[in-house]
Amino acid sequence: MATISEPIIETRGLNLRYGPSQALRDVSISVPARRVTALIGPSGCGKSTLLRCFNRMNDLVPDCRIDGLVAYHGADVNDPAYDVVELRKRVGMVFQKPNPFPKTIYENVAYGPRVHGEKDRATLDTIVERSLRRAALWDEVKGRLEDSALGLSGGQQQRLCIARTLAVEPDVILMDEPCSALDPIATAKIEDLINDLKEHYTVIIVTHNMQQAARVSDYTGFMYLGELVEFGETLQVFEAPTEELTERYITGRFG
Amino acid sequence: MTEKFEAELARLREETLEMGVLARGMMADAIRALVAQDLSLAGSVKDRKAELRDRLHKVEDRAYEVLTLYQPFAKDMRTVVSCLKVATALERIGRYGKDIATVVGHLAGTAPLSGLLSIPHMARSAEAMIADAIAAFEAGDLAVFADFSSRDDQVDALGYSIFRECVTYMLEDPTTITRCANYVMVARYLERSADHACTIAEATVFMVTGERVEIK
Repeated sequence: MATISEPIIETRGLNLRYGPSQALRDVSISVPARRVTALIGPSGCGKSTLLRCFNRMNDLVPDCRIDGLVAYHGADVNDPAYDVVELRKRVGMVFQKPNPFPKTIYENVAYGPRVHGEKDRATLDTIVERSLRRAALWDEVKGRLEDSALGLSGGQQQRLCIARTLAVEPDVILMDEPCSALDPIATAKIEDLINDLKEHYTVIIVTHNMQQAARVSDYTGFMYLGELVEFGETLQVFEAPTEELTERYITGRFG
Repeated sequence: MTEKFEAELARLREETLEMGVLARGMMADAIRALVAQDLSLAGSVKDRKAELRDRLHKVEDRAYEVLTLYQPFAKDMRTVVSCLKVATALERIGRYGKDIATVVGHLAGTAPLSGLLSIPHMARSAEAMIADAIAAFEAGDLAVFADFSSRDDQVDALGYSIFRECVTYMLEDPTTITRCANYVMVARYLERSADHACTIAEATVFMVTGERVEIK
């Protein structure tokens, strides 16, 4: 098992049930800061559920019960006193399908800071430019910030969604299958972007594309039936996994 | 993965093993030709060099194709890269067989010195290492490698003793120089072949366990 110097998010003994079915079983993971961590596993293994625990997205799911610890910077995020709005600002999320607001490119990025009380136009301009630059989209849209975001290509929309997440200054970005709706060129841009993002942010990505997981991540967790079967440095997991189950999954000899 | 992938991987291994049969045959026949001073057998060894090269390219092409089309992981990936390393080592072994066959021509018409010194013994040791390494690669069984380092040391020691013996002969009688110089080269080729058996052993360990070991 890899040694992690500086975990930013940790779970210990995490169990999650949707009604009678148990989606996560005794998951303990330490996600290292400023690294890319990939979660892989077959459909229904709990990887998206685990991702959603990190910023309490499962709060919105009826009949969902959680026990065990989810800690962000050492603090229990499920503590009733924990500020969930602040948590979601610091732990942003990018979804499978790009979901820009039906507004201008500028307003998509400025939306978050505005909601959090930023009114100064010059400050917003700075945030918008910085976020779009960090999302590797600035050069493509700087001349048309007032155009509708819906006119962008799928790959540009996804990078806009990443810029929107960056605008509220998170330090963790959760990505749930961020490239599965994109063509190979747009996918390559997002992968390059993920590599750039880890300079400033911690990225946790859920993907079904194992080559992608192997390419973009520093650490990989393999999940099966709600359990974290193996977690380690990505090259070790893909070249010589410790667990037989991981070996069978990544070599496509499952079931 | 798919049945097609499984079949491709199996074919890659088979082609690597077929190369092993060819390379071993070249080495064995070269030694037989040397002992029997059989120029026509030596000639047939030299003729097999082109086929050896073709087979190496075939293994390489299939390995590149498998990597490109299937992007294998874990043991599958290790199997593909191990086949490449094993095939490269086998090609070297076959070529040393061809080099020894060339020496048979150089020695034609001269009486062998003292039953070729320890060359036949050294050749048996090196050939046994090559055979064992290929069998272990085929079966994925690492047990035989436990004493591979010491077997390689023995082959090296035999090579050195041949060298010392040759120096003694050459000092005593300059008419032995041509023969002795050729014997020293043969010993060198055999020593290098045993080293390539060790390379095959290392690649097999990596294929099976994912660990890098040094067998020297």
